[in-house]
Amino acid sequence: MEVRQRMITTIIKRDGREVPFELEKIANAIYKALQVTGNREYKAAEELAGQVQTVLEERFTDKAPTVEQIQDIVEETLSNAGYSRTAKEYILYRAERTRIREMNTRLMKVYEDLTFQSADENDIKRENANIDGDTAMGTMLKYGSEGAKQFYEMFVLKPEHAKAHREGDIHIHDMDFLTLTTTCCQIDIEKLFDGGFCTGHGFLREPNSIASYSALACIAIQSNQNDQHGGQSIPNFDFGMAKGVAKSYRKNYLANLGKALELLADLPDGLGTAKAIADQVRAEEGLDPILANDNGYQEAEALRLRERIDPALIERVQRFAVDKAHKETDRDTYQAMEALVHNLNTMHSRAGAQIPFSSLNYGTDTSPEGRMVIKNLLLATEAGLGNGETPIFPIHIFKVKEGVSYNPEDPNYDLFKLACRVSAKRLFPNFAFLDAPFNLQYYKPGDVRTEVAYMGCRTRVIANRYDPTREIVTGRGNLSFTSINLPRIAIKANGNIDNFFEDLDRKFDLVIDQLLERYKIQAEKRVRNFPFLMGQGVWIDSDRLGPDDKIGEILKHGTLTVGFIGLAETLKALTGKHHGESKEAQNLGLDIIGYLRRRCDEAGKKYGMNITLIGTPAEGLSGRFVGIDRKRFGVIPGVTDREYYTNSFHVPVYYPISAFEKLRIEAPYHALTNGGHISYVELDGDLVQNVDAFETIIRFMKEIGIGYGSINHPVDRDPVCGYTGIIGETCPRCGRRDGEPVSVEKLRQLGVYINYNSDSIGYTGDIHEEADRIPNPLDLSEAATATPTTTCETEEASL
Amino acid sequence: MINGSITTNARGEEVIGEGIKFERIRRITGYLVGTVDRFNNAKRAEVRDRVKHSLSL
Repeated sequence: MEVRQRMITTIIKRDGREVPFELEKIANAIYKALQVTGNREYKAAEELAGQVQTVLEERFTDKAPTVEQIQDIVEETLSNAGYSRTAKEYILYRAERTRIREMNTRLMKVYEDLTFQSADENDIKRENANIDGDTAMGTMLKYGSEGAKQFYEMFVLKPEHAKAHREGDIHIHDMDFLTLTTTCCQIDIEKLFDGGFCTGHGFLREPNSIASYSALACIAIQSNQNDQHGGQSIPNFDFGMAKGVAKSYRKNYLANLGKALELLADLPDGLGTAKAIADQVRAEEGLDPILANDNGYQEAEALRLRERIDPALIERVQRFAVDKAHKETDRDTYQAMEALVHNLNTMHSRAGAQIPFSSLNYGTDTSPEGRMVIKNLLLATEAGLGNGETPIFPIHIFKVKEGVSYNPEDPNYDLFKLACRVSAKRLFPNFAFLDAPFNLQYYKPGDVRTEVAYMGCRTRVIANRYDPTREIVTGRGNLSFTSINLPRIAIKANGNIDNFFEDLDRKFDLVIDQLLERYKIQAEKRVRNFPFLMGQGVWIDSDRLGPDDKIGEILKHGTLTVGFIGLAETLKALTGKHHGESKEAQNLGLDIIGYLRRRCDEAGKKYGMNITLIGTPAEGLSGRFVGIDRKRFGVIPGVTDREYYTNSFHVPVYYPISAFEKLRIEAPYHALTNGGHISYVELDGDLVQNVDAFETIIRFMKEIGIGYGSINHPVDRDPVCGYTGIIGETCPRCGRRDGEPVSVEKLRQLGVYINYNSDSIGYTGDIHEEADRIPNPLDLSEAATATPTTTCETEEASL
Repeated sequence: MINGSITTNARGEEVIGEGIKFERIRRITGYLVGTVDRFNNAKRAEVRDRVKHSLSL
């Protein structure tokens, strides 16, 4: 029998190209595999390669072999020659090469989709609702983000962490920033402004009016946002801005006193005299004109005025100054807050042309200045943006505290009621409850740094295992967080609770290992890598370091956080019911989350770091895990049959349950998730019309130990007639349907037609009217024992 | 000011608002977005599922 042979001269590569056959390449590949098994003889590899060539020439007589076909024959040859271990290594080597190649292809495919698909078509472009995926900068951010993730997965992450993330056992959040920075920070605005600060070019002096205070607050948020990938919050906003109000008041007082002196007392250069007297009183008696007007300043001023004007005029002159100064400062503060809200909604300074994620915590400053800030911030938010739109940022967190803002006799109770009224219209503020036992334990009256603050997303940083003498919120934040796919563990456990906890244990250990690895990378960074966050002393203790110092130690004030998603689906998989519908499931849920919290505490103790547990604020993640699980395990009713896993420990959004029952079920989880938590209720009906019901729910949250809560209700707006409220099919004000026109005459009749030119009309809110609003008077008897009289129909949301 | 232009309908009336959609502000993972168009698919599905909670004790 004639064995036909042909010289192999070319091969076909994976991309289809035909290239010259090089025996050396096969020898090299075999040699690599041999080395792994301890054989360092290149000659052996050459010989085997020769055998491969022989087989190729026998089998491929009429066309060139492909790379795949060659590799098959290499494996076969190795096995036949008795090199079975080497064959195995070769197979692994192939698999690894394939995986890397596929990753490159996958990355290129992602880039292709980013480039050519619109955001509507491409889910990745909508991973983060804050980014406009259709813009150049939004897309560029995505290119960078996807490329970075790929790189880290291949070359930086420990293989077992990369594998766990890739396969959806865990999710490493913000992996695109793995080697670059930390998550977020609670900015101490009082400390930052004291003496002025720098943003990289030029020094900003300590501001001198409420307008500058508010502008600088925006700049601080923006600057810090450039150094971190997460949100920026100010935990002491009212206290910080109060100084600005005081400065503005003094200016306004002296300006008006000056006018009064000229007009009423015929004194030339009234302002000069007013200032001279004020400086003298400050120098000699340490007093200034203040809003409260109860410090003796006016008495001291009156004494000095006697020397200059008719004493009979003093009372009128001073009364005029106080009256006008009060009104003008109130107006100045309103405008400063209005500008702040506008700024925080429009400055595109975060990567990808995003607006910084800003959060403001306030509510406990009871000084007249602080109260003026809170009141006007709320009113400006209520008024909305230029056309009355609901501002998206900042996220407002109103701090509720017995003795300060919660009870009718409390000094800031009126502001709490105003907060409810504004939230009923604008969805913010959210409410933080300082009396929840796990928050109260840190509270020291009079020290705002000990008042719990929440990031808008729900992150909470207050305890401090690393430095128990500084259990404060200012200058601290989260370093990174990683979430566990709880439902998957439950699915795999097949109803066996012991197996579930064993597997959970292993996953937990993996996550701790990964968080610590990431921390090690972060710890190697230096102050100069964070020009504002560290360079300007925003992060706690960074002002004690020089530009080239490493930041590992001071970072330990931050938190490493373990997260989870889908407790409801987990319980459904384990017991057949979720915790909204079954007490047993709820008990198991508390066991599971309690167990995770205990392990976090142990790990924190072991490593001397702040390791906390959070109910993950999942956005992209909510779909990612369930997608992978459905592919792997199929459709499991109540578990993988939806396109998302329920957020953290929440009762599923689709489950009909009363607001109060939902809160009762979720409240105990707040105590366990020390890294952050939130509970929402979803309401129908126009809450603007029923602020009392709104307040009742908030009060209930406080009473059952919720840490951070919020009320969701539809906030719709018709840009044509300006109506804000519930809009179903047609606008309740002008009657038009979505996308359809309405007659100009109709708008005229409604009184919302404003014709600025012949080509456009529209509604603009009356800012002056809204600025003059005062909080509603209190009816104490009603507030004390309020029970809700409104029942809202339970219905599915329809869009 | 909305930049809607005034047009004339079939009946000869001046009208405005053609193509202008209602804004529907919704909360996603803690922050607000003016339109569900920006939500990813998973969150869109979740918003569709949301039921309202009654206020009965």
